[in-house]
Amino acid sequence: MPELPELNPVVHGKLRLALLSLLSGVDEAEFTWLRAKTGATDGNLGAQLMKLEEAGYVSVEKKFVLRKPQTLYRMTDAGHAALTEYVAALKQLLGAAI
Amino acid sequence: MSGETDSLELSERLNMIEAMIAEGRGRYESWGWMFVLWGVAYYVAFFWAAWTRFAYAWPITMIAAALLTMVGKWRRGNQPSTTMGRAIGATWCAMGISMFILLDALGFSGHLEDVRIFVAAAAAMIGTANAACSMMLKWKAEFACALVWWTATVIASFGSAHAAIGAFLVAIFLCQIVFGIYAMILEWRRRVRGVAHA
Repeated sequence: MPELPELNPVVHGKLRLALLSLLSGVDEAEFTWLRAKTGATDGNLGAQLMKLEEAGYVSVEKKFVLRKPQTLYRMTDAGHAALTEYVAALKQLLGAAI
Repeated sequence: MSGETDSLELSERLNMIEAMIAEGRGRYESWGWMFVLWGVAYYVAFFWAAWTRFAYAWPITMIAAALLTMVGKWRRGNQPSTTMGRAIGATWCAMGISMFILLDALGFSGHLEDVRIFVAAAAAMIGTANAACSMMLKWKAEFACALVWWTATVIASFGSAHAAIGAFLVAIFLCQIVFGIYAMILEWRRRVRGVAHA
Protein backbone atom coordinates (compact mmCIF):
# COMPACT_ATOMS: atom_id res chain seq x y z
CA MET A 1 0.00 0.00 0.00
CA PRO A 2 1.49 3.38 -0.94
CA GLU A 3 2.47 5.68 1.92
CA LEU A 4 0.18 8.68 2.47
CA PRO A 5 1.92 12.06 2.28
CA GLU A 6 2.40 14.38 5.24
CA LEU A 7 0.81 17.81 4.98
CA ASN A 8 3.25 20.70 5.36
CA PRO A 9 2.31 22.21 8.78
CA VAL A 10 3.36 25.73 7.75
CA VAL A 11 1.04 25.68 4.74
CA HIS A 12 -1.72 23.74 6.52
CA GLY A 13 -2.71 26.60 8.86
CA LYS A 14 -6.04 27.88 7.50
CA LEU A 15 -5.12 31.56 7.33
CA ARG A 16 -1.62 30.81 6.03
CA LEU A 17 -3.12 28.58 3.35
CA ALA A 18 -5.56 31.33 2.36
CA LEU A 19 -2.71 33.85 2.19
CA LEU A 20 -0.53 31.62 0.04
CA SER A 21 -3.47 30.88 -2.26
CA LEU A 22 -4.24 34.59 -2.61
CA LEU A 23 -0.62 35.49 -3.26
CA SER A 24 -0.24 32.70 -5.83
CA GLY A 25 -2.67 34.50 -8.13
CA VAL A 26 -1.08 37.96 -8.02
CA ASP A 27 2.33 39.53 -8.53
CA GLU A 28 2.30 41.23 -5.15
CA ALA A 29 -0.32 42.33 -2.64
CA GLU A 30 -0.65 44.98 0.02
CA PHE A 31 -1.24 44.09 3.65
CA THR A 32 -4.57 45.92 3.57
CA TRP A 33 -5.76 43.95 0.54
CA LEU A 34 -4.85 40.65 2.20
CA ARG A 35 -6.69 41.78 5.34
CA ALA A 36 -9.80 42.65 3.33
CA LYS A 37 -9.80 39.34 1.47
CA THR A 38 -9.22 37.14 4.51
CA GLY A 39 -11.14 39.14 7.10
CA ALA A 40 -8.34 38.53 9.59
CA THR A 41 -7.33 40.95 12.31
CA ASP A 42 -4.15 42.99 11.90
CA GLY A 43 -2.37 41.08 14.67
CA ASN A 44 -3.24 37.60 13.45
CA LEU A 45 -2.53 38.48 9.83
CA GLY A 46 0.85 39.98 10.73
CA ALA A 47 1.78 36.94 12.80
CA GLN A 48 0.84 34.45 10.08
CA LEU A 49 2.61 36.45 7.39
CA MET A 50 5.71 36.51 9.58
CA LYS A 51 5.59 32.71 9.86
CA LEU A 52 5.37 32.43 6.09
CA GLU A 53 8.23 34.88 5.75
CA GLU A 54 10.36 32.91 8.22
CA ALA A 55 9.66 29.75 6.22
CA GLY A 56 10.84 31.58 3.11
CA TYR A 57 7.45 31.29 1.40
CA VAL A 58 6.77 35.02 1.10
CA SER A 59 8.99 38.06 0.84
CA VAL A 60 8.10 41.46 2.21
CA GLU A 61 8.88 44.94 0.96
CA LYS A 62 8.16 48.07 2.94
CA LYS A 63 8.07 51.41 1.22
CA PHE A 64 6.45 54.82 1.32
CA VAL A 65 3.96 55.91 -1.35
CA LEU A 66 2.93 59.57 -1.08
CA ARG A 67 4.38 59.58 2.45
CA LYS A 68 2.14 56.68 3.48
CA PRO A 69 3.75 53.40 4.55
CA GLN A 70 2.97 50.48 2.28
CA THR A 71 3.79 46.83 3.00
CA LEU A 72 3.88 44.57 -0.02
CA TYR A 73 3.99 40.78 0.08
CA ARG A 74 5.19 38.52 -2.71
CA MET A 75 5.17 34.75 -2.92
CA THR A 76 8.63 33.28 -3.40
CA ASP A 77 9.54 30.31 -5.62
CA ALA A 78 9.76 28.20 -2.45
CA GLY A 79 6.24 29.34 -1.56
CA HIS A 80 4.91 28.34 -4.97
CA ALA A 81 6.60 24.95 -4.65
CA ALA A 82 5.24 24.44 -1.12
CA LEU A 83 1.68 25.27 -2.18
CA THR A 84 1.91 23.01 -5.23
CA GLU A 85 3.21 20.14 -3.09
CA TYR A 86 0.50 20.78 -0.50
CA VAL A 87 -2.27 20.67 -3.11
CA ALA A 88 -0.84 17.46 -4.58
CA ALA A 89 -0.68 15.88 -1.10
CA LEU A 90 -4.21 17.04 -0.35
CA LYS A 91 -5.52 15.46 -3.53
CA GLN A 92 -3.66 12.24 -2.75
CA LEU A 93 -5.14 12.15 0.74
CA LEU A 94 -8.62 12.86 -0.56
CA GLY A 95 -8.19 10.13 -3.15
CA ALA A 96 -7.23 7.70 -0.42
CA ALA A 97 -10.22 8.74 1.71
CA ILE A 98 -12.74 8.06 -1.08
CA MET B 1 -12.13 13.27 14.52
CA SER B 2 -13.58 10.66 12.14
CA GLY B 3 -12.14 9.85 8.73
CA GLU B 4 -15.23 11.32 7.10
CA THR B 5 -14.78 14.63 8.94
CA ASP B 6 -11.12 14.63 7.96
CA SER B 7 -11.88 14.22 4.28
CA LEU B 8 -14.58 16.88 4.52
CA GLU B 9 -12.09 19.29 6.06
CA LEU B 10 -9.46 18.49 3.44
CA SER B 11 -12.03 18.96 0.70
CA GLU B 12 -13.01 22.32 2.21
CA ARG B 13 -9.37 23.35 2.13
CA LEU B 14 -9.09 22.46 -1.53
CA ASN B 15 -12.21 24.53 -2.26
CA MET B 16 -10.79 27.42 -0.24
CA ILE B 17 -7.54 27.31 -2.23
CA GLU B 18 -9.47 27.50 -5.51
CA ALA B 19 -11.69 30.32 -4.23
CA MET B 20 -8.75 32.35 -2.94
CA ILE B 21 -6.73 31.93 -6.13
CA ALA B 22 -9.76 33.12 -8.15
CA GLU B 23 -10.23 36.01 -5.68
CA GLY B 24 -6.65 37.10 -6.16
CA ARG B 25 -6.80 37.05 -9.92
CA GLY B 26 -9.63 39.57 -10.03
CA ARG B 27 -12.23 39.49 -12.75
CA TYR B 28 -12.72 41.04 -16.11
CA GLU B 29 -16.49 41.14 -15.54
CA SER B 30 -15.91 43.70 -12.80
CA TRP B 31 -14.90 46.10 -15.59
CA GLY B 32 -18.33 45.84 -17.24
CA TRP B 33 -19.09 49.44 -16.24
CA MET B 34 -16.13 50.53 -18.37
CA PHE B 35 -17.64 49.01 -21.51
CA VAL B 36 -20.88 50.88 -20.80
CA LEU B 37 -18.98 54.12 -20.09
CA TRP B 38 -17.06 53.93 -23.36
CA GLY B 39 -20.20 52.94 -25.26
CA VAL B 40 -21.96 56.04 -23.97
CA ALA B 41 -18.83 58.10 -24.76
CA TYR B 42 -18.82 56.84 -28.37
CA TYR B 43 -22.49 57.81 -28.73
CA VAL B 44 -21.93 61.25 -27.19
CA ALA B 45 -18.91 61.94 -29.42
CA PHE B 46 -20.62 60.62 -32.52
CA PHE B 47 -23.81 62.67 -32.17
CA TRP B 48 -21.95 65.75 -30.92
CA ALA B 49 -19.68 65.65 -33.96
CA ALA B 50 -22.51 64.87 -36.36
CA TRP B 51 -24.84 67.64 -35.22
CA THR B 52 -22.42 70.45 -34.45
CA ARG B 53 -19.56 69.59 -36.85
CA PHE B 54 -17.28 70.51 -33.97
CA ALA B 55 -13.80 69.20 -34.85
CA TYR B 56 -12.80 68.53 -31.27
CA ALA B 57 -15.93 66.56 -30.29
CA TRP B 58 -14.20 63.18 -30.55
CA PRO B 59 -10.86 64.11 -28.88
CA ILE B 60 -12.60 65.93 -26.01
CA THR B 61 -15.07 63.08 -25.36
CA MET B 62 -12.37 60.41 -25.56
CA ILE B 63 -10.11 62.30 -23.15
CA ALA B 64 -13.05 62.79 -20.77
CA ALA B 65 -13.87 59.06 -20.94
CA ALA B 66 -10.22 58.18 -20.31
CA LEU B 67 -10.19 60.49 -17.25
CA LEU B 68 -13.43 58.93 -15.96
CA THR B 69 -11.90 55.47 -16.44
CA MET B 70 -8.87 56.51 -14.39
CA VAL B 71 -11.10 57.95 -11.66
CA GLY B 72 -13.15 54.73 -11.59
CA LYS B 73 -9.98 52.66 -11.36
CA TRP B 74 -8.70 54.86 -8.54
CA ARG B 75 -12.01 54.57 -6.66
CA ARG B 76 -11.82 50.78 -6.80
CA GLY B 77 -8.74 50.94 -4.62
CA ASN B 78 -5.41 49.18 -4.88
CA GLN B 79 -6.05 45.91 -6.64
CA PRO B 80 -2.94 43.75 -6.87
CA SER B 81 -1.65 43.41 -10.40
CA THR B 82 -1.60 40.12 -12.28
CA THR B 83 0.06 39.11 -15.53
CA MET B 84 -3.36 38.59 -17.13
CA GLY B 85 -4.61 41.95 -15.86
CA ARG B 86 -1.57 43.74 -17.25
CA ALA B 87 -1.92 41.96 -20.61
CA ILE B 88 -5.57 42.96 -20.92
CA GLY B 89 -4.90 46.52 -19.75
CA ALA B 90 -2.01 46.84 -22.21
CA THR B 91 -4.18 45.60 -25.08
CA TRP B 92 -6.89 48.21 -24.47
CA CYS B 93 -4.38 50.97 -23.73
CA ALA B 94 -2.42 50.29 -26.94
CA MET B 95 -5.66 50.15 -28.93
CA GLY B 96 -6.84 53.44 -27.41
CA ILE B 97 -3.58 55.24 -28.16
CA SER B 98 -3.47 53.87 -31.73
CA MET B 99 -7.06 54.91 -32.37
CA PHE B 100 -6.52 58.36 -30.86
CA ILE B 101 -3.42 59.01 -32.99
CA LEU B 102 -4.80 57.55 -36.23
CA LEU B 103 -8.23 59.15 -36.15
CA ASP B 104 -6.97 62.52 -34.95
CA ALA B 105 -4.19 62.52 -37.55
CA LEU B 106 -6.61 61.59 -40.33
CA GLY B 107 -9.20 64.07 -39.06
CA PHE B 108 -6.96 67.10 -38.69
CA SER B 109 -5.14 66.40 -41.96
CA GLY B 110 -8.48 66.46 -43.73
CA HIS B 111 -8.37 62.86 -44.92
CA LEU B 112 -11.29 61.68 -42.79
CA GLU B 113 -14.05 63.22 -44.86
CA ASP B 114 -15.64 59.85 -45.63
CA VAL B 115 -17.38 58.51 -42.53
CA ARG B 116 -16.87 54.97 -43.88
CA ILE B 117 -13.11 55.24 -43.38
CA PHE B 118 -13.65 56.37 -39.80
CA VAL B 119 -16.07 53.52 -39.01
CA ALA B 120 -13.96 50.87 -40.77
CA ALA B 121 -10.77 51.87 -38.94
CA ALA B 122 -12.37 52.34 -35.50
CA ALA B 123 -14.41 49.12 -35.67
CA ALA B 124 -11.42 47.09 -36.85
CA MET B 125 -9.27 48.32 -33.95
CA ILE B 126 -11.95 47.82 -31.29
CA GLY B 127 -12.62 44.37 -32.76
CA THR B 128 -8.92 43.52 -32.50
CA ALA B 129 -8.79 44.47 -28.82
CA ASN B 130 -11.96 42.49 -28.07
CA ALA B 131 -10.64 39.46 -29.94
CA ALA B 132 -7.25 39.57 -28.19
CA CYS B 133 -8.90 39.78 -24.75
CA SER B 134 -11.41 37.05 -25.56
CA MET B 135 -8.57 34.73 -26.59
CA MET B 136 -6.64 35.50 -23.40
CA LEU B 137 -9.72 34.89 -21.25
CA LYS B 138 -11.23 32.15 -23.44
CA TRP B 139 -14.47 34.13 -23.29
CA LYS B 140 -16.75 33.37 -26.24
CA ALA B 141 -19.15 36.24 -25.49
CA GLU B 142 -16.37 38.76 -26.02
CA PHE B 143 -15.23 37.04 -29.19
CA ALA B 144 -18.79 37.46 -30.47
CA CYS B 145 -18.32 41.20 -29.85
CA ALA B 146 -15.14 41.11 -31.95
CA LEU B 147 -17.10 39.47 -34.76
CA VAL B 148 -19.74 42.21 -34.56
CA TRP B 149 -17.06 44.92 -34.78
CA TRP B 150 -15.37 43.21 -37.74
CA THR B 151 -18.73 42.90 -39.46
CA ALA B 152 -19.16 46.65 -38.99
CA THR B 153 -15.74 47.12 -40.64
CA VAL B 154 -16.81 45.08 -43.67
CA ILE B 155 -20.18 46.89 -43.93
CA ALA B 156 -18.42 50.26 -43.73
CA SER B 157 -15.94 49.23 -46.40
CA PHE B 158 -18.46 47.96 -48.92
CA GLY B 159 -21.72 49.67 -47.95
CA SER B 160 -23.06 53.21 -48.10
CA ALA B 161 -22.30 55.93 -45.56
CA HIS B 162 -25.69 55.36 -43.96
CA ALA B 163 -25.02 51.63 -43.68
CA ALA B 164 -21.63 52.36 -42.08
CA ILE B 165 -23.18 54.68 -39.50
CA GLY B 166 -25.94 52.16 -38.77
CA ALA B 167 -23.43 49.32 -38.35
CA PHE B 168 -21.29 51.48 -36.05
CA LEU B 169 -24.21 52.47 -33.82
CA VAL B 170 -25.48 48.87 -33.63
CA ALA B 171 -21.99 47.58 -32.80
CA ILE B 172 -21.65 50.15 -30.00
CA PHE B 173 -25.03 49.13 -28.61
CA LEU B 174 -24.36 45.38 -28.72
CA CYS B 175 -20.66 45.27 -27.85
CA GLN B 176 -20.40 48.14 -25.38
CA ILE B 177 -23.79 48.70 -23.76
CA VAL B 178 -25.31 45.20 -23.87
CA PHE B 179 -22.01 43.38 -23.32
CA GLY B 180 -21.06 45.77 -20.51
CA ILE B 181 -24.38 45.23 -18.75
CA TYR B 182 -24.01 41.46 -19.26
CA ALA B 183 -20.55 41.58 -17.63
CA MET B 184 -21.95 43.63 -14.74
CA ILE B 185 -24.75 41.08 -14.23
CA LEU B 186 -22.15 38.27 -14.20
CA GLU B 187 -20.14 40.15 -11.58
CA TRP B 188 -23.25 40.80 -9.49
CA ARG B 189 -24.26 37.11 -9.67
CA ARG B 190 -20.74 36.09 -8.71
CA ARG B 191 -20.87 38.34 -5.67
CA VAL B 192 -24.24 36.94 -4.63
CA ARG B 193 -23.43 33.29 -5.20
CA GLY B 194 -19.65 33.34 -4.84
CA VAL B 195 -19.19 31.96 -8.36
CA ALA B 196 -15.97 32.88 -10.17
CA HIS B 197 -15.46 33.24 -13.93
CA ALA B 198 -11.76 33.92 -14.31
